[in-house]
Amino acid sequence: MSILTYIAGWPLLAALALIVVPRNYRVIIRAIAVLATLISAVLAVKMFAQFVPGATGFQFEQQIPWVESLGISYHVGVDGLNVGLILMGAIVAFAAALCSWEIQTREKEFYILLLVMTGGILGAFASLDLFFFYFLHELALVPTFIMIGVWGRGEKKNYATFQITLYLSIGALIALIGLIALYLQSGANTFDIPKIIEHAKTNPLAVNAQNFIFPLLLFGFGILVSLWPFHSWAPLGYGVAPSPTAMLHAGVLKKFGLYGLIRIALPLLPQAAQSWAHFLALLCVGNILYVGWVAMRQKDLNLLIGNSSVAHMGFIFLGIASLNLIGVTGAVLIMVAHGFLAALTFALTGYIYKQTGTLEISALGGLCRKLPFIGTALLMAAMAGCGLPGFANFVGEATVFFGAWKMFPAITIIALWGALVIGGIYMTRAIRNVLHGPLPEKWNSLSDANLWRKLPYALLIVSLLVFGFLPKLLTEKINPDAQKIVAMATGNVIAASETSAPAVNFVAQNK
Amino acid sequence: MKNELFPWLILFLPLLSATVIALFTLRSKTVSSLISIGAVAAGFVLTCLFVNANGIHYSGETSVNWLTIGGLNVDFGLKLDALSMMMLFVVTGVGGLIHIYSYSYMDEDAGKARFFAFLSLFTFSMLGIVLANNFLMTFIFWELVGVSSYLLIGFWFEKPSAGDAAKKAFITNRLGDFGFLAGILMVWGLLGSLNFSALQNAMVSNPAALGASATIAGLLIFCGAAGKSAQFPLHVWLPDAMEGPTPVSALIHAATMVAAGVYMLCRTLFLYNADALHVIAYIGGFTALLAALMAVQQNDIKRIIAYSTLSQLGYMVMAVGLSGPTPAMFHLTMHAFFKALLFLSAGSVIIGMHHEQDIWHMGGLKKKMPVTFWTFTIGALALSGIPPFAGFYSKDSILAQCLEQKNYLLFAVAVFVAGLTAFYTFRLFFVVFFGKEKTDHAKHAHESPLIITAPLVILAIFATIGGFIGITNNYGSQFVADHETLSLAQQFLEPLKTPVPMFIGIGVALAGIFLAFALYKIGDKDPLPAKLGGLATAMKNKFYFDELYEATFIRAHDFLAAVADWIDRWILEGAIIGAIRGGTDLSGRALRLAQTGNLQTYAFLFVLGVALLLYFVLGK
Repeated sequence: MSILTYIAGWPLLAALALIVVPRNYRVIIRAIAVLATLISAVLAVKMFAQFVPGATGFQFEQQIPWVESLGISYHVGVDGLNVGLILMGAIVAFAAALCSWEIQTREKEFYILLLVMTGGILGAFASLDLFFFYFLHELALVPTFIMIGVWGRGEKKNYATFQITLYLSIGALIALIGLIALYLQSGANTFDIPKIIEHAKTNPLAVNAQNFIFPLLLFGFGILVSLWPFHSWAPLGYGVAPSPTAMLHAGVLKKFGLYGLIRIALPLLPQAAQSWAHFLALLCVGNILYVGWVAMRQKDLNLLIGNSSVAHMGFIFLGIASLNLIGVTGAVLIMVAHGFLAALTFALTGYIYKQTGTLEISALGGLCRKLPFIGTALLMAAMAGCGLPGFANFVGEATVFFGAWKMFPAITIIALWGALVIGGIYMTRAIRNVLHGPLPEKWNSLSDANLWRKLPYALLIVSLLVFGFLPKLLTEKINPDAQKIVAMATGNVIAASETSAPAVNFVAQNK
Repeated sequence: MKNELFPWLILFLPLLSATVIALFTLRSKTVSSLISIGAVAAGFVLTCLFVNANGIHYSGETSVNWLTIGGLNVDFGLKLDALSMMMLFVVTGVGGLIHIYSYSYMDEDAGKARFFAFLSLFTFSMLGIVLANNFLMTFIFWELVGVSSYLLIGFWFEKPSAGDAAKKAFITNRLGDFGFLAGILMVWGLLGSLNFSALQNAMVSNPAALGASATIAGLLIFCGAAGKSAQFPLHVWLPDAMEGPTPVSALIHAATMVAAGVYMLCRTLFLYNADALHVIAYIGGFTALLAALMAVQQNDIKRIIAYSTLSQLGYMVMAVGLSGPTPAMFHLTMHAFFKALLFLSAGSVIIGMHHEQDIWHMGGLKKKMPVTFWTFTIGALALSGIPPFAGFYSKDSILAQCLEQKNYLLFAVAVFVAGLTAFYTFRLFFVVFFGKEKTDHAKHAHESPLIITAPLVILAIFATIGGFIGITNNYGSQFVADHETLSLAQQFLEPLKTPVPMFIGIGVALAGIFLAFALYKIGDKDPLPAKLGGLATAMKNKFYFDELYEATFIRAHDFLAAVADWIDRWILEGAIIGAIRGGTDLSGRALRLAQTGNLQTYAFLFVLGVALLLYFVLGK
């Protein structure tokens, strides 16, 4: 059995086990959930450490045939594209389980859903079979809606649940249509992703089929990742979600759509990818600039962070749209970095909410005095969020800028403005109004996190710093496989991109 | 390279110190401050040993690969040459003295341990800029000094003004960094490398390698320098940065960080074409003039010195723009001595005055604080450019550079600013130290303890003799191929080689001092507002730049934010959700039409269905 099966399997197994635990055994329920995610995280670290960069094919591979007539099999494996994501996902899941102390009603159900979500998403990232890839993602997605609907907070809970369910279901549906069309059009008669890709090398999909399927995948996956203008569900949903759910969804689950684009759409639909690249880059401006402005305007800390998280997705899309090695590597880097960061920020706002009962920015202020640890951690998260070097996000964003520069210089300049100036404005404003300034008297009774509660925050900060200081740990793994994807995605136009002809020309020719 | 490990230790010891303090020793003020002081002192000793082993004219690099992705190759590399080694001395030497001073200055503050952690973080970042061998490393540390400065300006974060000042400094710097990173991308795109030596080789072998973008690329990179070194139009953050503790003002906002922009320009001088340098020179000259005018009507002791810092940075940037990196770096180093001295002396005054900073509440401190008085006097003379103090030599070299480049306009500006500098410096000097004590605090002022005054004395010595102890020799060898090394006596008499700027410079400085003497020797209120009228008000209000930016840049962004938020709320969210909801609703209504509840209709539809089915099955 592959270590990947264990990484995704332990949380699912624990979820099953929890069903039989009586609901008043709270400590045991919690211990099982924490332990299962811990095992999964430790195994993920081991897997990451043992991963050999640049080895041919997939590692830790396992394949069990299932429905042979349709070509469906249980097939898991990692290469440079998903090894970092699985590590990030497992660590975030552990942190989310630790942060679940804030849930105090119907704990049993909550932990079961949390574990299903964890197992589902880790399994989806490990899957190399389209069926399981999609099915496991749905398995993780549905609990999100329930958790927000049942354990969510605030007055807007129902509306937010309604909106997030609607958007994500439609997004997933559109992506499903795209994937089925891809299965039918590829002619490989298998759900096995590596086999489909291998098949496409000799029998590429017809260009008009590509042009039909690519937008389905782009917008289907795009909606799941809050691509502008389909983003409004995200800040609202994260604003009301219980923090463990927000951590897992914003940090991990949301990366599924991006991973799908890179893993499936780019290599299989190269011509369509090239002709859509410029359009995608334009949509990134919506994410980076427009949503950045929206973030500036927010009066609720969670909405601000939710919008900033949407803005960060723009950098990832920009990296993908640049369709070159540097850009795609940068996109994967940000996916990992943002996972840690989003989890960290939502965990921290969850702590503050639990203490104060509000995240209204104007009601807070001066919190650094009473909450030195949480305040410092939030300051670090804000700084990582506006691209401070030392944190992993900077490496990813800078790499994307370098990758995008040759393709879309004007859009890169706009992205720089969004990252450095607009990000700087709303993050420092938030710090000024939440952490700095005089402490309102009503918050005199707040208390800082104790050692045990500090653990998840510390874990996430350390992860951000490790990859921020030593990005090579990730890049040397991502590089060879990103190279393969890019080679397939650019196939016939490698020469053109190397002479740094702008992608605009290609788009113009295509149309 | 001998002792190759030393530069790495110099760089990373402060980071280690910051980490250890943050994780383990926050509870102990003494241990924390000693760790931090130890790290920077060790850096100074290691710098001495390293330079002793390799010689100051050594040039080399040591690096490890940090990141390689296709054509993007970034080393974590240290560049060691005269330029960076001299800066190591400045940062660890002057910085070390300020660390020691802070030990006493911050003694009563509950956050002393945190202060020293930030100070160490800053030292690490600043050393990183000094040692970086490529653009991305420079940018990384550039951002890190930015955030250290942010943390230290906002050190007393409960004070709203400190929080605001920190925010303002951060955002203004980010504006500069935006241009800086765009420039880095542009240079990388055109030349294919980030390494300074590789870029220099590329530019030497083909001076037109940047093509038509050369001016834009140069000016974009200069944006970074303009942000950090607070050049017009990004100068607004520096005066507000005085909200930080005084040692921070001395270390970051006078001696080192704000000089980073000038240092970076000198490091990358090979990139700039004549047009870019021209713009840089005029921006520098304009900043020098603008800031000097503002300084004339300020009343806060630290703010006056802050404006003078702006003005002196303008001199340095102007010198770089006039193709004079040696005068620029020379002035940078001298400025580090005398400006750190002035700030620390001001800090000593502030302690003596129980945290009073308005000069019109002081007066007559000469007798109460003799050591501080004398060190401040030396600093003021050096800043005003009176021989033989340090500032005289470096300012003279800049004036000479203006004439050598035949830029008479900038020469005139520089001369005028020299006069203004002497004037506002001695305005401060007379009001604070002479005349009557104007408040009770001034009557009860007392001299500071030895640990405060000792660093002052050491800095005062360098502010006195710094001009002729070989510093130009070291910089000269970096920038001029056939540089001749001058002896001590030659250096002492160097300004005589160009008597015109020298005599003019001394003349206007003496005139400025005399004017200040005439106006402020006995006066206990400022006679200038009455004489200058509206101009004085404009000077006092910093020519309304804050208001201008508030009305344009900030307003524009807030307006766009409001528009985007409105669209988000009412159009995107409303329309899309509405469309989906409406669509579902509509199809529901349409389907409901079929459900009439009428048995005949159902029967009719049933028969119709069967007929259609039969037609498809049998009909074909």
